[in-house]
Amino acid sequence: MTSEEIIEKVKAGLADAIQDTDLPQGDAVIFVAPDSWHAVADFLKNDADLKFDYFSDVRGVDYLLEEREPRFESVYQLYSIDHQHSIRVRVGIDEDNPSVPTVSDLWKGALYPEQELFDMFGINVEGHPTMERLIMPKGWEGFPLRKDYPLTTETVTFSYNRDFKSDLVKSKPPTR
Amino acid sequence: MSVTDQGLLHRDKDTMTLNMGPQHPSTHGVFRVILEMDGEVVKTAEPEIGYLHTGIEKTSENKRYVHVIPMTDRLDYLNPPGNNLAFCLTTEKLLGVEIPDRANVLRVIMCELSRIASHLVWLGTHALDIGAMTVFLYCWREREMILDLNEEISGVRMMTSYIRIGGVAKDATRPWLDGIRDFIEYFPAKVDEYERLLTKNPIWLDRTEGVGAFTREEAINWSFSGPALRASGVNWDIRKAQPYSCYDNYDFDVPVLNNGDIFDRYRVRVEEMRQSRAIIKQALESLPEGPYKTPDNKVSLPPRETLHTSMEALIHHFKLVSEGISVPVGETYVPIEGARGEVGFYIVSDGTNVPARVKLRAPSFMAIPGMCKMMEGCYIADVVGIIGSIDIVMGEVDR
Repeated sequence: MTSEEIIEKVKAGLADAIQDTDLPQGDAVIFVAPDSWHAVADFLKNDADLKFDYFSDVRGVDYLLEEREPRFESVYQLYSIDHQHSIRVRVGIDEDNPSVPTVSDLWKGALYPEQELFDMFGINVEGHPTMERLIMPKGWEGFPLRKDYPLTTETVTFSYNRDFKSDLVKSKPPTR
Repeated sequence: MSVTDQGLLHRDKDTMTLNMGPQHPSTHGVFRVILEMDGEVVKTAEPEIGYLHTGIEKTSENKRYVHVIPMTDRLDYLNPPGNNLAFCLTTEKLLGVEIPDRANVLRVIMCELSRIASHLVWLGTHALDIGAMTVFLYCWREREMILDLNEEISGVRMMTSYIRIGGVAKDATRPWLDGIRDFIEYFPAKVDEYERLLTKNPIWLDRTEGVGAFTREEAINWSFSGPALRASGVNWDIRKAQPYSCYDNYDFDVPVLNNGDIFDRYRVRVEEMRQSRAIIKQALESLPEGPYKTPDNKVSLPPRETLHTSMEALIHHFKLVSEGISVPVGETYVPIEGARGEVGFYIVSDGTNVPARVKLRAPSFMAIPGMCKMMEGCYIADVVGIIGSIDIVMGEVDR
């Protein structure tokens, strides 16, 4: 199916759950609210014409600097191996109490990237079996890929350098 | 006092917890897995990652587009041109620039050479893990030739950064093209040699056949990609499914096998090396003349000699060096078929010269939960075989 046909099909199947659609550079993109995301995912996977059986990735995005509402977004990339088409689903997530339902019950491959979503953005993935740190150490404070997380060096606890001054690790604002 | 009185034989559970890694030679980097053993059989395997986390995604959000390219080399350090290409294709899609044919063909040659080099590292280390030492030495011999070719074209043996936004770093040189011609004549006999050492070797077959098998449905559900997916009977190669660069001009087969065990993953990769060689051969024969980077001076630097005569070229040069490429607002994703599977960068641009978000879709990262699922019920000796057969690179797992 072409991107236009995918969007038509999704619109026909789930008229009230789709907030918006887009075709940037020819890719099929749909916008979904977190509440209806699991139902949409279920439809996308099980509908015979769409059959998005392959979960490629989910990424978090923080739109703090653009001052966009809602602040966070989790973007899902899905493929259909049989029909050889793809779709991108953008789920906007509110700043206070950010959470999104898990789709790891539909695609097992979503387990790790969803955990990373929590690790890096602090987005709580409801229903995920292991909502804990994945890449950052256990007990790490803050969510590194949020835009308000400063780009600093980690404090050094041990150094071979005798003249080591703590000024060296002071934060420097990112240059644009 | 007897042993029983001391309570030494009293145990809460009948299993033993065994820590493997992060500093284990067979985990191919700093991958740690905690195995719950029932005798020699693995009951559960719990992965632990993050030891190599370098914050490349965060760093990318504070660097100009051009400066991100050398960092992409360090993600999947066995297949750097693939990562360069994924990043450049995505940026070019946002910019909407056309790439000259010659640049596309040079990109394909570079990526396929690097796929062969990556598969050679995989074959050598994987065989070494299982106990076949000789293959390792043979594979390194051929890989060295590819690294020499890399050095000739880019000056660097591994982290080439050869593929740039708008084209490639420099035009193909005569020694490089001659070197590749020699290599593709020399290489097929060497692949047969590896196969003679392994494919019918009874020890190799005992260790690989039927071990760590995933069905078609499992492989899709656990988001495997690349050779691991194709060994489970899924005909999914992004070079064919969503062609990029100029892969649709070449005639090559996608090897697909059905058992999904270590042996089939081995055979798929060996066959892929032959197919990559076929692609390089066709690409060399049809290498068009023309520019090696886009003539659009908003994206690529104008030729050096024009700076002395053209005011416009000087301005473009100054703006590109001091400010960098400004990318229009938007978000996009272009997947490519890397050596390990689907590689792609999801880039969000806010219209400045610095990306707002860069996210790598790393095939090794996505495969780790499925790989640990695969270990359950296997013997402990097969764990290293399974890790090797998925071919994880920790640089792109931890990023």
